[in-house]
Amino acid sequence: MGVGLVLILITSLIFPGIVSVVKAKIAGRKGPRVMQHFYDIIRLMKKGNIYSRTTGFLFQLAPIIYFSTLLTAVFFIPVGNYKALLSFEGDFVMFAYLMASGRFIMIIAAMDTGSGFEGMGANREAFYSLLAEPVFFIIMGSIALHTGHNSFYDIFSNLYVESALTYFVSALSVYLIFWVSMIENSRLPVDDPQTHLELTMVHEVMVLDHSGFELGLIQLAGGLKFAIFGSLIFNLVLPIQNSYFLQLTFFPIVQVIYAVLVAFVESFRARNKMMRNAQWIITLSALSIVVFLTILIIHEKVGMLP
Amino acid sequence: MALLFFFIISTLLALSVFSNKNRSINFSAASIYSLLHISLSIYAYINLNDLDSVYYKFDSLGIILNGLLSIILIPVFWHIRYFLDRYIPDRKMKGRFISLIIILSTALSSIYFADNIVIVWVSLEITTVAVTFLIYHERYPDALEAAWKFLFISSFGIVLAFIGILLLSVKVSNAQDSSLSYTHLQAVSHLIDPLFMKAAFLLLVTGYSIKMNIFPLYPATVDAKTIAPFPVNALTSTAVLNGGFVAIFRLYSIISGTESAVWANRVLLIIGMTSLVIMSVQLFKVKRFSRMFAYSSMEHMALVIIALSLGKPGLYAAILHIMLHSLAKTGIFLHYGQIRAYYLSGWIHDSGDYMKQNGFSALVYLLGLMTATAVPPSGLFVSEYLILRALFSEGYSYIAIAIIVLLSVVMYVIFKYSMQLLYGKLPDNFQKDKAIINKYEPVSQIILFGLVFYLAYFTPGFIKELMNSVVQNLN
Amino acid sequence: MMIVLLIIFACTLIYFFLSERVEKHINLLAVQGTLLFIIAFINLIEINVLGLILILLETLIVKAIIIPRFLNRIRRTNNLNRLVENYIPFFYSVLIITAIIIASFFTAYSIRNHFVDVKFLAIALSTILGGIYFTIVHKNIFNHIVGIMIVENGAFLLSLAVGGEFPFLVSMAVLIDILIAVLIIGIFIDKIGSAFGNMSTSSLNKLKD
Repeated sequence: MGVGLVLILITSLIFPGIVSVVKAKIAGRKGPRVMQHFYDIIRLMKKGNIYSRTTGFLFQLAPIIYFSTLLTAVFFIPVGNYKALLSFEGDFVMFAYLMASGRFIMIIAAMDTGSGFEGMGANREAFYSLLAEPVFFIIMGSIALHTGHNSFYDIFSNLYVESALTYFVSALSVYLIFWVSMIENSRLPVDDPQTHLELTMVHEVMVLDHSGFELGLIQLAGGLKFAIFGSLIFNLVLPIQNSYFLQLTFFPIVQVIYAVLVAFVESFRARNKMMRNAQWIITLSALSIVVFLTILIIHEKVGMLP
Repeated sequence: MALLFFFIISTLLALSVFSNKNRSINFSAASIYSLLHISLSIYAYINLNDLDSVYYKFDSLGIILNGLLSIILIPVFWHIRYFLDRYIPDRKMKGRFISLIIILSTALSSIYFADNIVIVWVSLEITTVAVTFLIYHERYPDALEAAWKFLFISSFGIVLAFIGILLLSVKVSNAQDSSLSYTHLQAVSHLIDPLFMKAAFLLLVTGYSIKMNIFPLYPATVDAKTIAPFPVNALTSTAVLNGGFVAIFRLYSIISGTESAVWANRVLLIIGMTSLVIMSVQLFKVKRFSRMFAYSSMEHMALVIIALSLGKPGLYAAILHIMLHSLAKTGIFLHYGQIRAYYLSGWIHDSGDYMKQNGFSALVYLLGLMTATAVPPSGLFVSEYLILRALFSEGYSYIAIAIIVLLSVVMYVIFKYSMQLLYGKLPDNFQKDKAIINKYEPVSQIILFGLVFYLAYFTPGFIKELMNSVVQNLN
Repeated sequence: MMIVLLIIFACTLIYFFLSERVEKHINLLAVQGTLLFIIAFINLIEINVLGLILILLETLIVKAIIIPRFLNRIRRTNNLNRLVENYIPFFYSVLIITAIIIASFFTAYSIRNHFVDVKFLAIALSTILGGIYFTIVHKNIFNHIVGIMIVENGAFLLSLAVGGEFPFLVSMAVLIDILIAVLIIGIFIDKIGSAFGNMSTSSLNKLKD
């Protein structure tokens, strides 16, 4: 049980590094070391904090709460043959709300600065995550319905009944969760972390006023988010039914592939027009609804609904 | 196999004149086709109630309507001569026009006699294509717009109708040639799921409504008739409407034997009343004669649908109305061609003082107007009276009164616009030297209007028999 | 396997409302045609030559090859790349198509009986309604023909749902009829494109009186 947790935490530290290395290679640049991202965070954490006079205690508290919600969320995800640290019926709902509350506190903090830019960024972030939330819920809901269980561990240990439908649902879920992770991490095509114009930023503009230790925490949290979604994807690709050893060997491989994919998407895909974002995200929800309805029909559970 | 020969010969005739430049060949083909069509009607009457291959049947309604088309075709071809001479300079296009008319009439005959729901559907689509090209025959932007609207909405309606046919075929299909025949469908109608039956009825009526010029898909038809050349209108406002009626009537004969009959009656009544209300409101806005007459057709078709919604009691009146209206509307549209030739315009405000300028034609127009709006001595008055009487006796008094009010409004509006033509001030831009006038042209209309009178008051025995057998065959 | 194909079919329906490029719509039509071929092929209970030829003609050749190619030609000759404009923003369109799919599923489920296959009925209904909606929201007449084709595809699925099998001759007549209708609509689109200079319905409003 501990091994899985450690693996996720390690992934969270290396993941952004892999992404930037692969991106640099694709662009033909020399690129940073894999651990550079980690060193940057350490450097940030050594620095002192500077606070704007308009901000209150909430602003200082927010990054810590944000980071801790994500850290708690990690405890919900099973890797390997054991239950996760926190595992109970319906834990994926709790998991989703933990992620949401972290985002909520960051949005509140952004509002607290009183800056127009940060308000705008917070507005966008709230809107996009509002749209992306149903995707995650509907996908997890359909898989739960399909397997007949409603905690992460039970779902993933009962996922692979041999049928074309299961493979298809898993494949589509991986596809959707991949894009959800891109939205949640404010990456392309919804947001570009490397943009230099505040007007086009989403996430970056929200954390403009944070500095030092707190900025480091926020960056750590970004890696954690990737690791969380990466483990979810891993569980869909290689569920718990497989042997423990196989799981542990393949976990890093899947994570690296995921990171490379992210890098590829970031290198080759243009950012959406701001006004097209909403439509793009809602399409993901629509796709997930199709999956959900199919599973309903397959399991003849429509009668249960009004 | 008689119909197969008819189709083959018609196709050959249509092909032979399609890109032909010789005027006499054109009109000999037209004459041969008219004769062929008349002989088909006679042949069908001799072989009444016989099957012709698996797909066709010579039933009474088909014979009545096909006979009507045979009668209408003669004056229409006669006037097409004038039309082509006046407006179509390109010699190739003249042949094409006649070719398309032949295709249209052949497809209509196929609809009238078809005993298979899919054959009706396919034939209706062929009429769509033919009518579209006929509308666009003069090749100007407004015609393009009208043709596009007609084509597009017809195609959409046809697709909807196809979905309806699919729903009907749920239970009955056994992949045999007779499985989708009306006879078979009537026999198994009680086996079809009522919900599917109703959905199919709605979809099919919606799809065919564009052909019958009634609510809900009427706008494209009205636009098409506003623009179409007058000989085309003389057919689309009569024979094509009858084709739509046949399609809806055959469907009705399936549903009327089931428990959904009452529901279907109500739907038809609503469609009819809605059409009547819409047309009487829209009529106030018209600015062209052709559009006015298109709405007038809509009025009569609405009456027919209302009569049909009564089931057996109204059916005789409905068929009589269809017959008389076809003859009257043909005459009206043929006369509209003369008005357009005289004033060089189809707009109401470009016309005036017809009575003084061209007295004989004006009298014929007045006669036609009285016939078409069912002013008492007219034959259409008889059928309208029968429809209203059926409504009263079936207990729909309020609806009957509403219809009377609406009909008076319609009559008022049509006469108001016609007064402008007959007695109004001659417009300043009228060019007397360019006006085309031919004193033999109105003759055909006098015959047609006389026929309306004759058929209404002295209905020949064999036609009465045919109509009665249609009523009896409805279950 | 069948359900997977049907899900993919429903997904293509959603993508129709996501893309702004006409070319993508045409490609999606081709994809739908191919999917229909696979679905019909699997659904074929007994392999008889006539039935196979018919399905091959109707789906793969007409719906997946001839019509998309023809539409692409019209698109190129008229220089049509992006949509003109829509009556309803894309965002709401995606929401509405989702609502349509949900409603169709529940409707299909509530009217199921022994004669129909609910899976097919659900997707067929959503495709038909989606096609009608697609036709309504677009101002561009080129997309109207795409909408009609979507409805056609829905009708094809419906025919699989009700198991209605027409005689060979009748099916051929229907097929040729549809093909001719599409070709003529295409010709008229071409004419409108050259006569009015654009393909927006707003240039087609002279006949109001």
